[in-house]
Amino acid sequence: MGRTVGIDLGTTNSLVAYMDVTTGRPKCIPGPYGETLCPSVVSLDADGSVVVGEPARRRLLTQPERSVYSVKRLMGRGLADVQDELKIFPFRVDPASESVIRVRLGERVFTPPEISAFILRELKNWAEAYFGESVERAVITVPAYFNDAQRQATKDAGRLAGLEVLRLVNEPTAAALAYGLHEEQRGRVAVYDLGGGTFDISILKLISTSAGDIYQVLATNGDTHLGGDDIDNLLQTIIFRDVFDATGRDLSQDPLLVQEVRKALINVKHQLSTEDAVPLLISFSDGDPFKKFIRRDTFDKLIGEFVDRTMGPVKQAMADARLRPAEIDEVVLVGGATRTPLVRRTVEDFFGRKPHTELNPDEVVALGAAVQADILESGVKSMLLLDVTPLSLGIETYGGAVAKVIPRNSTIPASAREMYTTGVDNQTGIEIHVLQGEREMARDCRSLARFTLKVPPAPAGLARIEVKFLIDANGILQVAARDLHSEEQRSVEVQPSYGLSGAEIERMLEDSIQYAEQDFAERQLIEARNEAEIMLKATAKVLESERAAELIVEERTAIDAAVSALRQAAAQSDYKLVRAKIDELNQATMRLAELTMNQAVSAALEGKRLAEV
Amino acid sequence: MSTSISAPTPPLVCWSCQEKSLGAHFCSNCGKILQVPRGIDYFAFFGLPRKLRVDLDDLEKRFHELSWRLHPDNFVRASERERELAVDHGSRLNDAYRTLREPIARVEYLLALAGARNESQQRQQAPPELLEEVFELNESLEELRRTRAAGGAPAGLRAQLEAARKEFQEKLAEVDAQLERAFGEWDAAVDDQAQEDARKKVMSRMNELLNRRSYIRNLVGNVAQELET
Repeated sequence: MGRTVGIDLGTTNSLVAYMDVTTGRPKCIPGPYGETLCPSVVSLDADGSVVVGEPARRRLLTQPERSVYSVKRLMGRGLADVQDELKIFPFRVDPASESVIRVRLGERVFTPPEISAFILRELKNWAEAYFGESVERAVITVPAYFNDAQRQATKDAGRLAGLEVLRLVNEPTAAALAYGLHEEQRGRVAVYDLGGGTFDISILKLISTSAGDIYQVLATNGDTHLGGDDIDNLLQTIIFRDVFDATGRDLSQDPLLVQEVRKALINVKHQLSTEDAVPLLISFSDGDPFKKFIRRDTFDKLIGEFVDRTMGPVKQAMADARLRPAEIDEVVLVGGATRTPLVRRTVEDFFGRKPHTELNPDEVVALGAAVQADILESGVKSMLLLDVTPLSLGIETYGGAVAKVIPRNSTIPASAREMYTTGVDNQTGIEIHVLQGEREMARDCRSLARFTLKVPPAPAGLARIEVKFLIDANGILQVAARDLHSEEQRSVEVQPSYGLSGAEIERMLEDSIQYAEQDFAERQLIEARNEAEIMLKATAKVLESERAAELIVEERTAIDAAVSALRQAAAQSDYKLVRAKIDELNQATMRLAELTMNQAVSAALEGKRLAEV
Repeated sequence: MSTSISAPTPPLVCWSCQEKSLGAHFCSNCGKILQVPRGIDYFAFFGLPRKLRVDLDDLEKRFHELSWRLHPDNFVRASERERELAVDHGSRLNDAYRTLREPIARVEYLLALAGARNESQQRQQAPPELLEEVFELNESLEELRRTRAAGGAPAGLRAQLEAARKEFQEKLAEVDAQLERAFGEWDAAVDDQAQEDARKKVMSRMNELLNRRSYIRNLVGNVAQELET
């Protein structure tokens, strides 16, 4: 029946973890390179195969137009939302993108959930290789401040990767879970989570009850547009300007250089966490290299504004939780960007206490997801998470104003019931527009969905339809309607404003199954081609040897024909054909192999044949 | 609508074992999660009387206990029907807690249950006893806007507005204190099983206080907004 895992689907890196029953502790699963971090990079090979993780990251340098990173920034967003991103990230967005962005990789286009699904599938493979067993279900983490569309996109990605998503868990909450389990601390905890692309702050209360521990989120806030990536972008912009001033070169015009410089800058940034000054060297194929020393204090000054931007959400979350900084018992840092000394100092100054950093900030979210996955899977509950919705849910009313029906920081699942009636005789439909956000006017909030409530023709004001808006435990909106006269449940067709429709998901699911088959065919093709190459080399070598002279003309002609047929087959993409031609060449070279049996070179040919028998 | 102490919740027939169940959330016979009874109110959901003075620690304890049993986490591997019921129960529980833990939301809910919440038709209309002060305040606000439009912001005007804000904040606190006393009267009426008339009188007063409160709150909000821009 397969295993269940916890997955941290991050902007820069993703991880998969599970609960180790022998130790009772969650553990991250390493990939083929022994690393637990899987770079969230996807690359499409020229032959159509998909490469994920570290190999894909290397391809950012060699094949930037076929590779994509930080796709999490595009999840659940429309084209208009990501204009800022597009200025800095080399995303090649299809112009046909509207409510769902489509990213071009080589000759194909993919939606962000499809690209994320490739990453999830890779992690699923890691886990399956590790367990020697299939993995079918997962808890996937999302930034606490993700809106409905971003959550739905993540859930879609899980489905496309062939995973049943048991629950979406907020990243800071998952971190608190891992931390609470580790430290066995109780009280009020602030989790400051600065990841690659998103920032979250969550204030939790850890309570011991007679039944078990409860992790209750009191308030959450954040910015889904703020992360370590932004530091990189800032540095990149500054260095590009410096290079331009010093050498007159415009680096942004060269995608290869962009990636190389970015990589160098990220290294500098990491080193600045421990060093006071770090040299940066950019070499060019023509001309002198660009050299610059970057000092920690210069760096701190540069990123000061960026770090300050995280404090607005921190203060808002504290106000919503009705707590003063001194009332926080523990502070937990999560996310790679919290290794930055300035970030640590700023957080420490605000709360007046040293933050916890015992757990690896890269792994802690995945570990928490594994704990929650284990609880949901086993049905044995040792603790309970009570999470909240980060944004208020509202309905557009007369004049474009928004009536809030579920306030932000409501514990989820949460619901609201609204009564609707008709304004004119024989009106057959009532338009409803659902939004998320804190602003007063609909145009300033995030549109979630629009739908028309169908009503039977009747005099105005007679219809009484109750609409239930529900935010489920994943933070995703569900809508149901009931006619209070007939007590009939009415189905509501909700068209999401941003995101994939049910039909699109179905089509992608079909594609992804074909993809899985295609993947298999591609692997087969690669193996067959490799074999053909070895075969052809060996044959050529034997044909040059003196033994070849002993062949009769017919034999020689047959071999030549088989060699050329195999060459042709290998140039095409049907692995079955390649296999067939390998067999034919094997047959044709049978006597030649016998003739050369005693020669070392025959080993390759004979060995091959034996292996195939 | 009746203003009785607690909503009558008829015994449910359990969807699973088809027996009459006495449990509030789980079937007393087979232990399955029940459908949420139609018309059950937030007070009854927690097993509380419809009283307005609520012990918040006790309420939180009940909330945690019920969360532990009703949260959808418990039903991830259960049948689809049970999963739906758990979401329904779980969301009602959270809605109920969110409403009852806040005194204003609590009293508004109680009045709405009894059909006794009537928001004043014209929200913009000042309560008669505040007319004069509101008039003065609006003049000051208007003057501040005019001065600002002309490019200045005299400190004197600001100080005047700050004083007005403080004054109205005090009035707000006064209304809250009056409401709190009305809560006590209501609870006493519930305990004494007082007549319908007596209850209606308390409700009607609370309704007026709520209208007054929301008017002053808007006013304070407007002043704050003006002062912060």
